[in-house]
Amino acid sequence: MSNETVSLLIIFLFIIGATIVGLIPGMNKKMNLEEWAVGGRNFGRWLNWFILAGEIYTAFAFLGASGWAYSRGGPTFYILGYGALAYVVGYYLLPTISPIGRKHGLMTQPDLIEHLYESKILSLLTAIIGVAFLLPYLQLQLTGLGLIIEACSYGQLTRIPAMLIAFILVASFVYLSGLKGVASTAVLKDILLMIAVVFFGLYLPIHYFGSLGGMFEALETAKPGFLALPGGTKNFDVSWVMSTLVVTSLGFYMWPHFTTNSFSARNPDVLRHNAIYLPLYQICLLFPMLVGFAALLLLEAPLKTPDMAFMTIVQQLFPGWTLGLVGGAGALACMIPAADLLLSTSMLFTRNIYSKTIGKNTDPNSLINVARIAVLGLTTIALCLAIFLPNMLVNLLLTGYSGVTQFFPMIVLGLYWKKSTKLGAYAGLIIGEILVFTLILGKMDPLPFAGMNLNAGFVALLINLIVFILISLSTYTPVKTKKEVPL
Amino acid sequence: MNTLKIILTLLPFVWTIGMIPFANKVHPIVLGLPFLAFWFVAGIFLAFVCLQAIYFIDSKHRQDS
Repeated sequence: MSNETVSLLIIFLFIIGATIVGLIPGMNKKMNLEEWAVGGRNFGRWLNWFILAGEIYTAFAFLGASGWAYSRGGPTFYILGYGALAYVVGYYLLPTISPIGRKHGLMTQPDLIEHLYESKILSLLTAIIGVAFLLPYLQLQLTGLGLIIEACSYGQLTRIPAMLIAFILVASFVYLSGLKGVASTAVLKDILLMIAVVFFGLYLPIHYFGSLGGMFEALETAKPGFLALPGGTKNFDVSWVMSTLVVTSLGFYMWPHFTTNSFSARNPDVLRHNAIYLPLYQICLLFPMLVGFAALLLLEAPLKTPDMAFMTIVQQLFPGWTLGLVGGAGALACMIPAADLLLSTSMLFTRNIYSKTIGKNTDPNSLINVARIAVLGLTTIALCLAIFLPNMLVNLLLTGYSGVTQFFPMIVLGLYWKKSTKLGAYAGLIIGEILVFTLILGKMDPLPFAGMNLNAGFVALLINLIVFILISLSTYTPVKTKKEVPL
Repeated sequence: MNTLKIILTLLPFVWTIGMIPFANKVHPIVLGLPFLAFWFVAGIFLAFVCLQAIYFIDSKHRQDS
């Protein structure tokens, strides 16, 4: 068999295998919405771990980290930093949110906002912003999958039919099994991906340069300063990395799907326990970077798409079956996070947009059918965008992280600060989002300020926070005390 | 929140964000990694240790109450 047949065969075995594993939990059971979306709030340590970790090691971790290392050098290392810090935030935040969710039957982030501020409109606004940032993230996974399959077929198979097949499969197991399907496939994906990145991350430097240090010395000689800041970029300097780390570590758990995921935990201790061990998992992100650096030294022709560094080097130096295995693990790294995103986006739509507006009178028991149809609808939208307008959503993607980070003052102060008010939340959120869009789409990210290059999301967050506090203080009336603050 | 917990919570942030201006260099290469990368990896371990300690303090507190 030729190389491309072998590698394509392996990759499709992976995709179909994952689909079957994902379908099993939903086979013999009739699920209600709670069962489907938050696994009946009954996930123990390990399932919850894989759900939280599974969402972290996405196509970006796999393709993006190696691509950044290949093209940008030093600034890539910030990826190692934000995870550990985000889990410190998560250690306090998730165990606070989870019991509130259980007590009041919350399933999504806008549910939480509605609970905190007793405002349906603010909750609707949060849901719409959430969907706007999740859809491009979903599309990114699709595009990643397309790139992987294209590389595995040595350019023989175009990405469109491949994406179609893979995403119909993803939608089918989300449709049937909900979060339980995502959890069981996440286990499989994480193990495979870990083996693949650790192997290549160590093999390439050691085989070609004798050791890790040997590779970095060679790179430092070839490109002095590439491995420090700002590396291969102009303005991703020390101040950029510092401000970006603030945005990404605080914004991490503001992604709407993490709120939904945290509601799946059996008890708060599961979440605390996982927050402790997740930082160690972050070290795995180092290995795709090592592959990216090795690719920079080993590949002769410069790559047009730096995100292809990992796949290209495996394609050039290893036989077809190896490429198939890597592609299979990579395909799962796109499919499983996509499944989780699909589920969360569908929940935002069903619970917080549909049933609050046009579907006000829907019977709660039939909401699961709406949520399932939403899964199919969202898959179709994401596929159409990925196929017909691959560039249209780039802008939304760029603004994604900075955009969701603007939820931070509203959620965190809403939980812990008694004086936060609805008006403060509105003002902070709207100003934050407007700033994010104006700065990023106006090509002012990073924003030069007093000799520094600040992450635009950081600037927006700072102003958002100040506005939130000032408006809250001026509109707070001590009569209405309704907050329950655990801790 | 006692003082020790606050310190343990802030320490990873000071290490990973606050100290970058001093860690931004390629040499010395430590454990095969450029110094900046080593700094971040060490920060991951620090966060793990700090969280473990906070968890320990918390669980003692929970038993008391």
